[in-house]
Amino acid sequence: MAQDPTDGELESFLAGRADRLMRTAVLLTGSRDAGQDLLQTALERLIRHWRRIDGDPEGYLLRTLCNLATDGFRRRGLLQRKLLLLRTVAQPPADPMAEVDLRDALVRLLLQLPARQRAVLVLRYWEQLTEAETAAVLGWPEGTVKSTAARGLRRLRELADGWNQPDPALAHVRLRGDHA
Amino acid sequence: MNTDVEDLLRDGMERFTEGVAAPAGLAHAAGRLHRRRVAVRATLASSAATVIAVSAVIAVIAASGATAGRTQAQTVADLTRQVRQAVANDNLVYVGRTNGTDGPDVVWAYGRQSRWVEYWPATDYRDRVVNGKRLWDFPPQYRGQAFSVEGTALVGGKLMGAYVIYSDRKYNLSRQLPTQSSACTTTGALEMGGPATVGVNWKSFIDGMLACGAASATPRVRVNGAETTKIIGKPVTVRLPAGYSKVIRAKWVTVRWALYVNPATFLPVQIEGSTKTYGGAAGTYLSSGVTDVQWLPPTKANVARTLVIIPAGFQRVSLGEV
Repeated sequence: MAQDPTDGELESFLAGRADRLMRTAVLLTGSRDAGQDLLQTALERLIRHWRRIDGDPEGYLLRTLCNLATDGFRRRGLLQRKLLLLRTVAQPPADPMAEVDLRDALVRLLLQLPARQRAVLVLRYWEQLTEAETAAVLGWPEGTVKSTAARGLRRLRELADGWNQPDPALAHVRLRGDHA
Repeated sequence: MNTDVEDLLRDGMERFTEGVAAPAGLAHAAGRLHRRRVAVRATLASSAATVIAVSAVIAVIAASGATAGRTQAQTVADLTRQVRQAVANDNLVYVGRTNGTDGPDVVWAYGRQSRWVEYWPATDYRDRVVNGKRLWDFPPQYRGQAFSVEGTALVGGKLMGAYVIYSDRKYNLSRQLPTQSSACTTTGALEMGGPATVGVNWKSFIDGMLACGAASATPRVRVNGAETTKIIGKPVTVRLPAGYSKVIRAKWVTVRWALYVNPATFLPVQIEGSTKTYGGAAGTYLSSGVTDVQWLPPTKANVARTLVIIPAGFQRVSLGEV
């Protein structure tokens, strides 16, 4: 790419990918508003560095999204966790099996993971990238991706196992369907 | 559970983001944000002087019927000299509030200190519902919020150049203080036409505008209920530097400005500016703004407001990263 993109070029690039990228951004941040901010900031950076990007800009954009989300959550981690706790209702549902969906719970738990683990899991299981592709996007060694993903999954399994078992502390937690 | 947590996670992520779509105009908004930043950087960094054409000749004050007797009494040159003198001699804090096509901004300046805050527009001209879908240009939560602040900060007792981008929570510090370029240069012309891109010494800025020449003056023009004298600057046409030209996809810019001054003190009370870019793929784009000016006494509180405060927790980065 020899020059900065025009709005039209950027629109073409985003056609068919924007919604998917937006959903990735929402998963990385945990909310629609924060996801919008994240994606717009990443797009602005993409424009800024357009001429220096070699190859498909989507990889650059994914990497920027993850890096920005990681930076942001490093700063906002405490607040984010507090907000998630506030959304958690301590009263048991009338019918836990009907109201509680483990899949929703897993995403909530995903959002509580450290940002690097969350980014790797989003790329691996949402973007469906291989470990090598994830490593390329994040600019990390493949081994780091592997170990980070393993730690993240292990943490999710621990939390999910606890959910399935009669642990009063977890069983009474009902996670609201705050779909973005 | 151990075997299918990945599948459950995939399903969960699908459900969590179900119905999420990228907002319309995302690329446009990002592009606009980028061009805005580049424009700001260009006006502050560029020093090329390539004024191609400066039209108009200093004229005598255009007289209305009521002031026919004074028609030849005062030339525009005399008037601009008096205004320059008034601006140079005052010891007041300058406050300029601009409302323009690119959103509002506020400048506080005193001596070498300045703080220029740019805000996201409070309303969005694209904010409308079309075919059931809401179109917007800026993220709604940003409306009316500060976008960036630029100027001078006191760091360890020393005055430094400072630039903060709030949405990124980043800032840059530089030993180089904002400098004033002549109004008769490319940089000056861009600044002249767009008060929204000025974060410099405003006394020098106004002085530079006037030094570049005025085309005409008209007495007894009412602004916000008060009588003023209107000074219209010479229109300036400039060929844009190559890098800037490529970004905004226009080759030329024509800048116009007007000052409204208090006839008693000769201090400006309002500044009008417009910048028209054209001659490229982007077509013609006109950006304009009106700045209401106040001159406040240099109290401790007022002077303090002419300094940039770096918010706690913001990350210091190099200039290229903000």
